[in-house]
Amino acid sequence: MADSLEDLERRIDELRVAVRQASMAGDRAAARDLRKKLRDAEGEWDAALERLAPAGRAGAQGAGRDGQPRESSQAGEAGGEDGAVAQEGAATRERAAAGDARLLPIREQVHQALTLLGVPSGQRLVLTVHEAFLGAAPPAARLTSLRRDEERSFRSAPYARPYYLCAALTYDLLAPARGILAVSTWPMDRRVIGPLSPRVNYLTAAIRVAEATLRVPAPTPAALRLLWRFAANIPGAAGTGRAAKPELVVKAAGAELDVHREADEAHRSAAADRARAQLDDAEQLFGSRLRVFPRSATG
Amino acid sequence: MHTTEARLDRIRGFAPPRPHNARTIAALTSNPGCARRAIMDAAGVDKARVAAHAGFRAPFGQSQFAITRGNAFEAQVKADGCAELLRLLREQLHLPIPEVSYDDLEYFGGERRSHEARHARTRALLGRAAASGDDAGTMFDHPMLTLEVGGRRVYLEPDLIAFRLRDRFHVVEIKSFAVIDGQADGGKVAAAVIQSAVYVLALRQLMEATAAAPPDIVADEVILVCPENFSNRPVAALLDVRKELTVLQRQLARLERIEDLLDTLPADLTFDLEADEAGVPRRPPGELAEAIRVVPARYAPECLSSCEMCFFCRDEAQGETGALGRDVRDDLGCVEYVPTALALARGEAEPSPEQAEAAAVLRLACRLRSESLPGGEGPPPAAGRWPGEEALGEAV
Repeated sequence: MADSLEDLERRIDELRVAVRQASMAGDRAAARDLRKKLRDAEGEWDAALERLAPAGRAGAQGAGRDGQPRESSQAGEAGGEDGAVAQEGAATRERAAAGDARLLPIREQVHQALTLLGVPSGQRLVLTVHEAFLGAAPPAARLTSLRRDEERSFRSAPYARPYYLCAALTYDLLAPARGILAVSTWPMDRRVIGPLSPRVNYLTAAIRVAEATLRVPAPTPAALRLLWRFAANIPGAAGTGRAAKPELVVKAAGAELDVHREADEAHRSAAADRARAQLDDAEQLFGSRLRVFPRSATG
Repeated sequence: MHTTEARLDRIRGFAPPRPHNARTIAALTSNPGCARRAIMDAAGVDKARVAAHAGFRAPFGQSQFAITRGNAFEAQVKADGCAELLRLLREQLHLPIPEVSYDDLEYFGGERRSHEARHARTRALLGRAAASGDDAGTMFDHPMLTLEVGGRRVYLEPDLIAFRLRDRFHVVEIKSFAVIDGQADGGKVAAAVIQSAVYVLALRQLMEATAAAPPDIVADEVILVCPENFSNRPVAALLDVRKELTVLQRQLARLERIEDLLDTLPADLTFDLEADEAGVPRRPPGELAEAIRVVPARYAPECLSSCEMCFFCRDEAQGETGALGRDVRDDLGCVEYVPTALALARGEAEPSPEQAEAAAVLRLACRLRSESLPGGEGPPPAAGRWPGEEALGEAV
């Protein structure tokens, strides 16, 4: 459909008003339908915009892998270099992902970020990773009740959903670690936190982020900033030069991981065994809580 | 019925108690003669509100912005298993690479815990770390320590304690004032040093109490973490707190026991503001001021930067030589009031035997002043609220 941008914008506005009216009137089915039409219209608008502005888009790719700004003329040559064509494809995919991310539920956005990280992580890191690789992140305030909501959903209908966002358990009390999110499909060993695990998880996350910047053809500035922050805090990862080199980060993080790995795995597997033995399904996911018994009155 | 706690509760009134912390203890020990402050801090009175309602609103307080920024900086330094702090400890203090273990002493068992629970867990974990060898922990986050102040137990919360830096415990304090080109605000650093000394003392007492290790396993060097230059990048420095430790111990010993202080006060004394449901204080300010004045204070100009009651006490201390500062108080000893001092300086009054020395100093100063001033006259005769108000600014 070769609708002009203005037509699409007008249609989008009308659809938005209609969605609002349907929601306020309580007409769920109509609201769902209209929302789908709205999504389609927004997708068409994105595609139309890309068709209209190829040169500007290539210039706006931003920094390449090594932090050097890419020449816009390079990518402008039609089919000139394979890299440039792959750039455009990747950009479309990224923009489409960014557009879709707006419409994904928060839990799925968090799930994607955690899957990229591969280890239990704090809220801030999850949001930063999402911002860096998966498009605009949800606001932090929306995450505060996430674990509680997931627990309630699990307890009311266990295993009804393919995955749940759950807690990571502390090795000594098997209680939920503060502010840490994990995915329920991970093995128990990965979902416990020993005394060395915060550092081990940080190093693993660094490796995963570095590998992700190598995978993506054009890492966003946010991704490069995140990589740089990891590199600054891992001995031997910073190297010389203005930007962080992902290969160096992977190597340095791996070297330090070797120091801690054995001890950490020992703590965690012992804790995981205890958790499987002592806790029920919900507690294995969301942690047990210390119960405080009130002291009986002694007169 | 008449236990210390009950009487302190009565003095505080219906407001919830403000906790004693290292900052208030540091301020208290720098002015040990002030009974008013000792009682108010022990009772947990909100001095800012009381001063404001009595008509002497305090000139300072931490702004919400500063508090938020401080919390944000601390969160950043401690994020992800204290990644940034580890970098500092490794780079600047040569912490060995394997030492990375992290224990959270504030939030365990799924919730934020009470002071007593946290203190018990702190004792257990730190005691175990001190007594055993490896595998016992490197970073202990938000521990809860206690200290005896004026015969009562006070809970203290340093930012973090680091262990296994050459097998000793170091207190780590995270502050958000900046270190620019290697220099930081002297007053703020001094305050941080004294507060850290309080924590070191409390930690040493904990070691003694658990008998896990000799108290000097707690180093008298404190690690201060601040933002560097104008960025948020943290930088660490080692501070020697030995001098402050000795001063602190001496002054804590001298702090009169709160019970003895309470014995001198009427049983029905209270600083309660009598707030209504909306929280608006209803007590007549004059009555509140009367009650405050029952407890003697010891005003010094230093109070202006450390106590919310400073304007009230300064107003009360008008005309007293002590209000001019410690040096003046020391020099003039028995001469308590400014008019007396001026009279002695002009030779108009006869000094008593105790005042003889001070009187000699005053007369000398007066002579020097009249010799060096053009027109060569002594201080003008009485004028204004009390004699020699203008002269006061230039005398001594």
